[in-house]
Amino acid sequence: MKRLLTNARIIDPASGMDTTGGVLIEDGFIADVGPHLDAQHTSDATITDCEGYVLAPGLVDLRVKTGEPGSEHRETLQSASEAAVAGGITSMVVMADTDPVIDTPALVDYLKRAGQSSKVLNHILPSGALTVGLEGERMTELGLMKDAGAVLFANGDSALPSANQVRRVLQYAKGVGARVMLRPDEPSLATGSMNAGAFAARLGLRGLPAHAEWIGLQRDLTLAEMTGTDVIIDQVTTARSLDILLDARERGINAQATAAAHSLFFNELDIGDGSRDPGKAYLTYCKVNPPFRPEKDRLALIEGLKAGVINAVVSAHDPQPPEDKRLPFDDASFGAAGLETLLSALTSLVAEPMYELDLMTVLASVTCNPADMLGLNSGRISEGRVADLVLFDPDRPWKCKRDQLRSRSGNSPFDGRLLTGKTLRTMVAGKWVFDASEGAAQ
Amino acid sequence: MSFRYDFPHKHLLGIEGLNRLDIESLLDRADGFVENKSPEQSLVGKTLINLFFENSTRTQSSFDISAKRLGADVVNMSVQSSSVKKGETLIDTAMTLNAMAPDLLVIRHGASGAVRLLSRKVDCAVVNAGDGTHEHPTQALLDALTILRRKGRIEGLKVAICGDILHSRVARSNAMLLHQLGAEVRLIAPPTLLPPGTDTWGAASVHTDMLEGIKDCDVVMMLRLQLERMHGLYLPSKREFFHFYGLDKAKLAHAAPGALIMHPGPMNRGVEIDSAITESANSTITEQVSMGVFVRMAVLEVLAQNLDRARAEAKA
Repeated sequence: MKRLLTNARIIDPASGMDTTGGVLIEDGFIADVGPHLDAQHTSDATITDCEGYVLAPGLVDLRVKTGEPGSEHRETLQSASEAAVAGGITSMVVMADTDPVIDTPALVDYLKRAGQSSKVLNHILPSGALTVGLEGERMTELGLMKDAGAVLFANGDSALPSANQVRRVLQYAKGVGARVMLRPDEPSLATGSMNAGAFAARLGLRGLPAHAEWIGLQRDLTLAEMTGTDVIIDQVTTARSLDILLDARERGINAQATAAAHSLFFNELDIGDGSRDPGKAYLTYCKVNPPFRPEKDRLALIEGLKAGVINAVVSAHDPQPPEDKRLPFDDASFGAAGLETLLSALTSLVAEPMYELDLMTVLASVTCNPADMLGLNSGRISEGRVADLVLFDPDRPWKCKRDQLRSRSGNSPFDGRLLTGKTLRTMVAGKWVFDASEGAAQ
Repeated sequence: MSFRYDFPHKHLLGIEGLNRLDIESLLDRADGFVENKSPEQSLVGKTLINLFFENSTRTQSSFDISAKRLGADVVNMSVQSSSVKKGETLIDTAMTLNAMAPDLLVIRHGASGAVRLLSRKVDCAVVNAGDGTHEHPTQALLDALTILRRKGRIEGLKVAICGDILHSRVARSNAMLLHQLGAEVRLIAPPTLLPPGTDTWGAASVHTDMLEGIKDCDVVMMLRLQLERMHGLYLPSKREFFHFYGLDKAKLAHAAPGALIMHPGPMNRGVEIDSAITESANSTITEQVSMGVFVRMAVLEVLAQNLDRARAEAKA
């Protein structure tokens, strides 16, 4: 089966291509790309006119939580997949902190099969827990889980409790070729519910100091150096973390880093104190961990993205139902839904001239960069690559409304916000799986 | 005040968000109640629910008495016997109470922001009787009324607030209110109990040395130290705290002559305050409790009036 997408603005961050042309797809793979592919070119392909909109590699999201298995009322793999493709995401790594925790090869295999049977055909990539039950004590069977299909290993939302544990895990993971993602944190210091500082003090909320991130980051990078293991740093949020990363890289440590899209978009004041709008105070949709930081950190993250200090942007999708969010701030759970807003958050930043961000840069952070971190065949538009593609209008304004999100939980900090840029169609392995004009996945 | 000023808020959720005129109009109204032994029964036919998720003897009974003096019907909800213990969420509780159509809801809750959250879900007027470590507006108002009646003014006074500032909703509300009314507010605490950014509450200075902070102050306001803060993580011991931060005669001698000694209660005698000085002529500790009733009468009356006006407008 052949498909030809014509009249598209093709942006392929891996090659730096930004050109008007077409993409030819055969049997789910990209057969040809370029300006020479127009409607006259072939006769036996099904032709789709992209009307000049941007055609980019489908997004690869390194950090997604669903509720499956164990808390399907929050999110299922199916509902997460529908939300993902509506946001242009074609591959997502699902986190291991489910119930049960994904800490055995059999559970990795279960997730892999569940993903493959998804009707949306979103590539669901399981990750594994670094320690049994995420309890931070015994190492899991990293090698067997990797063979079963775990693309990444992490310890959920927590840092490993001891430095020695990190050392042994990194040493062992290197031997079996398992990719490790570490959350930089010092849990004994980070016991609050929002960024520590004057604003938290005034709201009477306990703080999560940025210093906890720096301590955790320094520790984990030092141990990556000690063991010579490559690491992925899971969600940095502060300016100083970027300096720490740069310093580590100069010393030869191979540490890649991610940032959550919402951390590029919001600062701590978005939690609100009701001074401008009485309804906007203690907003629990803005309660995430790592937390929203002060504006200067947010701006530094955007600079860090431009400079390549941050390699990948993640949705950090974490669906939480109303009963866990409609609570006093300290009692509410952490987490924000983010699948459907990942691409739009980034295109909204591009649309804002003051940031001087370009589409090529932001797309690299959600396509080829994360794909390369996992060694995937996707994330690129070139011959031989899997045909995972997103067609979007970078200029289309829309208002994010939580009750219109496809995720089973609507806990989005973007609720009520105007965003610029929207997914029009999404293709996974050569098949259209989302069409905005039809309003739902096929 | 001879002109009429309409308090422009539906709820009293905190001092933050009130301007000087709002505060002064409440104090003025409260001051009127002090001398008036038979106030107009302005809350007859109104139902007030006291909803206390944290135990409190004095605040709850103070609201109870204030409301009854103005003729309101009062229901005291004890959380121990309510369905909150059975796992009903806070918002469900609010919706349930709201369905019974009370006019005034007085709420105390252990989580910062919880009262504001509830106020968004109900139709009646809500008074914050203390939320977590955030605000306790009626306490700040009664403290201000006490100072006003003793000193005749607040503008230009030096007021020291001393003790566990970090965990104190009283400190936050008081700092904001006194700053609004033109006092110089100084905060005194050991570094472990001193939060950042207190200048945004209106504090002029912070001190870890009590003698420096208390110097020439017209008012010394002591805060209650929660006993569970005393063992290890924040403070080494009671006696060390009392040595450096407990108010006794010797330390008080550094304040201005005739300085008021205030405490929101309940006191830990011998921890933050020496028993001997609590009974001195300059101690206002029981007077503060008396003023609490008048301040709460003023708050309840003004919110009930606003509620009536809003209901009349909605009908029209």
